[in-house]
Amino acid sequence: MVKNDMTLARLSELVGAYGASAVRWPEAERVAAEALLAGSADARALVAEARELDLLLDMAPSATASSDLAARIMAARPRAASGRIVSAGRERPGLWRAIARLVWPYGSPAFPAGALAASIMLGVTFGASFSSSIAAFGLTTTQVADSAATATGSGEQLVSLALAENDYPEDWKQ
Amino acid sequence: MNDASDDELVARVALGDEAACRLLVDRHLTRMLALARRMLGSQADAEEVAQEVFLRVWTHASRWEPGRAQFGTWLHRVATNLCLDRLRRHGTEDIDSIPEPQSDDPTPHEELERSDLARQVDRALQALPARQRAAVTLTHYQGLSNIEAAETLGISVEAVESLLGRARRQLRAALATERDEWLRKTGV
Repeated sequence: MVKNDMTLARLSELVGAYGASAVRWPEAERVAAEALLAGSADARALVAEARELDLLLDMAPSATASSDLAARIMAARPRAASGRIVSAGRERPGLWRAIARLVWPYGSPAFPAGALAASIMLGVTFGASFSSSIAAFGLTTTQVADSAATATGSGEQLVSLALAENDYPEDWKQ
Repeated sequence: MNDASDDELVARVALGDEAACRLLVDRHLTRMLALARRMLGSQADAEEVAQEVFLRVWTHASRWEPGRAQFGTWLHRVATNLCLDRLRRHGTEDIDSIPEPQSDDPTPHEELERSDLARQVDRALQALPARQRAAVTLTHYQGLSNIEAAETLGISVEAVESLLGRARRQLRAALATERDEWLRKTGV
């Protein structure tokens, strides 16, 4: 609501709080205050005194961001769920990548094939060394089964620990 | 993208759009840093607060409701509250910790006088009670209206005006000597 009446006392309160610049005065009282200012030497004296403090305040040091501040902030930015940053017009795949995507739309089969081969090799190696250690210690199959049964309790704990989901504290989501 | 509104950028930030994140930082980092610097009187603390403000933006981007509040006002509120919390936790700022200008600085004499004056103004600002300092920072330096400052501080417009009136009276008294000296030299 625009106020049309302005007194010297009220103008004194305004400049005492907001300073000499009319743009900082409350919008509803600005026009009335400027009208009083135009016609009153006392009003102008009030504003001139407030301007001195404004000019001093303007000399306060300002901050300059260090060179890596923006980089640190950007490093913590949210990422796209796919792990690739979605940004319009930024990604331009090369010819080979485009062909590879055409042939293997779900990614190269080399990765699952490699993983399968590695698991087979690990299984064969582990199996061979396990049977040779049984033979070396002269254990029978039954003895091995018994010792495996006693180890089951701690083994299950280890497996469950390994498969447990990591529960990260997410207080930053609060 | 450059002319996208803050609301549009925040929506893109929630999707992990790097360019939107960068644009928001470009638009608002300097002002948030300036606010924190004037509130805390320390460049290092101001940078920590500015960084924390943007971490809040990244975290809350997906929950931002366009039109519910002005993004700029919300940023000011977050930054101001972080500064007030920090001042509350660390107690009254030791204004003597503000570094003296280097006596062997090769800066010309006038420049040295100017930086000395700037330091005096900074000390006077840091000597204000935290909420008065916040009111001056928001209105005088950040250019917020009385209504925006009231919203940022969570108080009435009348309370903002009262804080500002008391703050400027204290500043005028604290800077009386500097003011007279400065007026004598500049002939303003």
